Amino acid sequence: MKISRRAALTAGSLGVVAAGAGAVSLANREKPEPPAPPVLDQNDRLLWRNWSGIQHAYPAQRAAPASEDELAALLPKAPGPIRAVGAGHSFTALVPTDGTLVSLDNLAGVAGWDGDVAQVWAGTRLGALGPALAEKGRAMPGLPDINKQSLGGAMGTATHGAGKAIPAIHAEAQSLRLATVTGEVIEASPTKNSEIFQAAKVSMGALGVITQAHLATAANRRLHRRVWVEDFEAACDQAEARWAKHRNFEFYAVPFTGLAANISHDETDEAARPRGPDTDSGFLEVLRSCRNLLAFSTPLRKAAAHALLSTAKPEEAVDEGWKLLSTERPVRFNEMEYHLPPEAQIPALKEVVATIEKHRPDVFFPIEVRRIAADDAWLSPFNAGPRGSVAVHCHYKDQYGFMFELIEPIFRRHGGRPHWGKLHSLGAADFAALYPRWKDFLEVRRELDPQGRLLNPFLHKVFGV
Amino acid sequence: MKTIVTIVVACAALAACGPKPITPAEAAKLASADARLAKLYEGACKTCHTNPDSGAPLTHDARAWGPRWAQGEEVLLLHVVQGYKGMPSLGQCVACGPRDLQALVRFMADKEDAK
Repeated sequence: MKISRRAALTAGSLGVVAAGAGAVSLANREKPEPPAPPVLDQNDRLLWRNWSGIQHAYPAQRAAPASEDELAALLPKAPGPIRAVGAGHSFTALVPTDGTLVSLDNLAGVAGWDGDVAQVWAGTRLGALGPALAEKGRAMPGLPDINKQSLGGAMGTATHGAGKAIPAIHAEAQSLRLATVTGEVIEASPTKNSEIFQAAKVSMGALGVITQAHLATAANRRLHRRVWVEDFEAACDQAEARWAKHRNFEFYAVPFTGLAANISHDETDEAARPRGPDTDSGFLEVLRSCRNLLAFSTPLRKAAAHALLSTAKPEEAVDEGWKLLSTERPVRFNEMEYHLPPEAQIPALKEVVATIEKHRPDVFFPIEVRRIAADDAWLSPFNAGPRGSVAVHCHYKDQYGFMFELIEPIFRRHGGRPHWGKLHSLGAADFAALYPRWKDFLEVRRELDPQGRLLNPFLHKVFGV
Repeated sequence: MKTIVTIVVACAALAACGPKPITPAEAAKLASADARLAKLYEGACKTCHTNPDSGAPLTHDARAWGPRWAQGEEVLLLHVVQGYKGMPSLGQCVACGPRDLQALVRFMADKEDAK
């Protein structure tokens, strides 16, 4: 991106103006908290709300079974819809129920090992999985950007990290245990109940509750993390080569700046150089201030943001992968992520950025761009080939409806499949066209839960039942 | 000039007498004596409340908890259940009931003797 002398001078003048108390106040202004649902409903049931705050429910019953047996005994009797919940990081209405909400928080940790395969309880939070595996010198090769989710929730929604050769978390499962609504616990693997295995790995809690997964692990290597900012167009041009070169690679396109932030991780034997304090929140604050001050003029906003951010010093760190691959996200947001055929990823991204810059000056969050390896789970978005993901975010206090109106049509035109836990408007007919094993999945679902006791209204729409 | 020096020295002395900041490592070692509470804390709260990058007040950090506690326990619990700013609803602890949440807040704020 070239910045004209005039724009640069204007941006400089703007900096002087911004030093004024009024401008500072404008830049830092906080929107009020979105209205919150009552703590209790009319039946004195306690509120449940997802991480971002846009989904909520008042379940009649909450259960946190202390054992697999206790869970299996509960499922046939519990009032439906029965929905399992982890950390509540899904943005879609996967969890809300006025029936039973089941937490697996008491079924957490590594239950045992079979060689290098870890037998992990599904209630284990991903942030706790890293150190638990590291005790045996093992690690997950990929971890998502956020690590607060439970293993069960991450698998159920096909949550993933970033790396051309690294599949989503569910694809590391060598086998799993599934508690069904009849109270049976089914062991499933490629050789035992294989159809249930391929259906259950990504199943949004619609087949039963996954209690345990046996995960393939990798050696717990130290990784060299690099973060650097460059022009957006250059980042797009280099992305394919970087996915080929780096073990883990992703980048963030930053609307209204002409910039992108790249993040790579590669194995190394260098001594540890731990990551410094979080800088992402400061970066976001600059973007938000530029939005607050300059949303009225995209050229001015771009010039100012480019001047402020393009000289950001590259960040480097060396540490064990589980300490580097995920990041604290103290700012809540809403998100839509679609997984696109690789060849459509960058063209779709460019359309998304151009659309946001043309129509939505209120947006300031970066757009995350990742590549994920293929796997064979029936409802995996990465089924039958690798995919390139593009994820659009907006601050939890900002309007997110534009994602459905402006962004989702772009993703769909490029053949995208939505992330199961992130905002989308698709229904059963859409999914039938996107997933070759859709009918097979529905058949397994019907066999395991013929009365639909695991389905809430959102899942009724998703499955068309 | 002498007055200014006196004021600076007095301020420094007052600051030194204030609560000692807690380090993330110190916060990470803390656990409730109540086994159930300790498990809930370990599974949900600890990941953010021992990590300064999360933006959450560190467990037993009197300087961070002081102004929050001053709002009143009722306000704090409202924020915990409904979510507030960076704090997600229920602290992402679905297994926690209202009494658990109150006890967890008291533990993290180092106010377990509060009535």
